[in-house]
Amino acid sequence: MHLPTEQQRQAMKPTRWVLFWRRFFPYQLFRFVLINLRMTAMILKSHR
Amino acid sequence: MARVVILGAGISGHTAALILRRKLGPTHEVVVISPNSRWNWIPSNIWVGVGLMSKEDVTFELALVYRRAGIDYRQAKAVELHPEGNADAGSPFVTIEHTSPDRKGEREDLAYDYLVNATGPKLNFAATPGLGPEGHSLSVCTFDHASETAKALKTAIERMRKGETLTFLVGTGHGTCTCEGAAFEYVFNLEFELRNAGVRDSARIVFLTNEAELGDFGVDGLQIRRSGYVVASSTFAESLFVERGVEWILGAHVSRVDAQQVTYETLDGETHTLAFDFAMLLPPFTGVGLRAVDSRGEDITAKLFAPNAFMRVDADYTQKPYEEWLPADWPKTYQSPHYPNIFAVGIAFAPPHALSRPRKTKNGTVIAPAPPRTGMPSGIMGRTAALSIVDMIRKGDKKPTHTASMGDMGAACIASAGAGFWRGSAVSMTMYPVVPDYKRYPGAGRDLRHTVGEIGLAGHWIKRILHHLFIYKARARPGWWMIPE
Repeated sequence: MHLPTEQQRQAMKPTRWVLFWRRFFPYQLFRFVLINLRMTAMILKSHR
Repeated sequence: MARVVILGAGISGHTAALILRRKLGPTHEVVVISPNSRWNWIPSNIWVGVGLMSKEDVTFELALVYRRAGIDYRQAKAVELHPEGNADAGSPFVTIEHTSPDRKGEREDLAYDYLVNATGPKLNFAATPGLGPEGHSLSVCTFDHASETAKALKTAIERMRKGETLTFLVGTGHGTCTCEGAAFEYVFNLEFELRNAGVRDSARIVFLTNEAELGDFGVDGLQIRRSGYVVASSTFAESLFVERGVEWILGAHVSRVDAQQVTYETLDGETHTLAFDFAMLLPPFTGVGLRAVDSRGEDITAKLFAPNAFMRVDADYTQKPYEEWLPADWPKTYQSPHYPNIFAVGIAFAPPHALSRPRKTKNGTVIAPAPPRTGMPSGIMGRTAALSIVDMIRKGDKKPTHTASMGDMGAACIASAGAGFWRGSAVSMTMYPVVPDYKRYPGAGRDLRHTVGEIGLAGHWIKRILHHLFIYKARARPGWWMIPE
């Protein structure tokens, strides 16, 4: 039997569903666009 | 004709040099002094450190780019500043010492009208006995260090394939280190590559950091809105460490690195040891140790520089407790308060204080991450100082005309957690402002609309694109100036 360590027990762990979305190509393409938009907003805000 | 001398060709210095060259007419001179002959895109050194990239992928020859851009380049290091000149020379000058093979050791006095100090840090491995490539640990701070680390990793993988079980230690080599993000990236790329090599089960990986919480990154952590809650970045960071089977040790000051053993003190004041087979530990930074001399020949180093050898600029350096720290303490113009024709940008300027809460052990050991001044903020500072100098030269402005305080500046950061077009991942973070402002943003200290983070494959694609984009920009290829810092 594998018992989790204290560090493992207390931390939030991703579900299989979360791990799937992190690599799911169409969804990641959408996130790619969104993250770039966010970064562009940050760049514009910081270059005033 | 005015001459602008830039000390250093890292992100901030190189950005300043290119902008100055583009904005100033050919009648003005731009000179860059850098001890290194190659420009290095440091964020990709972590990929050199795991053997995915070579030195050539992350560097290029500075001389070729500067020749094409019309920038005078000397491969040398600055050793002495004379901001008032001396008895022989009435105008300010800087003494440089050549580092190129053909002129090594030769000294030269270089007069300037404006000086941009962008020397970056001195990698202070000496702060911890045994730390660094000349001691018993590895580093990814330079491309040469990273190449050596990749070789050591290759050897370790061979040993594991032969049946050995090894302990990998990654993190910070001193209680006052900065750039925890680089250690974070390296540990996950290491873990990813060990999995790719089929030896992950034979590796124990330990992350040892001076951060009091994972995800602090020297910016006092982030608060992120997620699923109806405002959640600390430590929650997400811990989750990633558990998911990837990486153990962690927090609030640690490494006091000694011996062959295959590290000794460290934790915030509770206890001293521990940990045996390792492979250790990549980052060093703390100090300024490069420039000496400053006035017109009478008297040493004024302490006037221009803080005790950590970083240059004082227009910040509020009054010592005050964490609870009284304000964004307004941070510099806006990066101009020296003593000499209006001197600016210091990037890591070279002295921060007024840290961003993370400083902590001490019961033995008095300071364990406090230093504030990061790299990447996007560093480039913006270089641009800001350059544009102010352009206005001072061309329009005769007496004061800097451009400002960029880290208290009113955001940052975008992509932290790689493994490279691969289909299987890679990275943490994409944006934060605004870099310096927490609890008056404007009570509770979180930052604007929750602009302070976000997520992990996924898309982050890896962005990190890879940024690698090529910023090297293109640094090479001053057509349209480089349209790419923001």
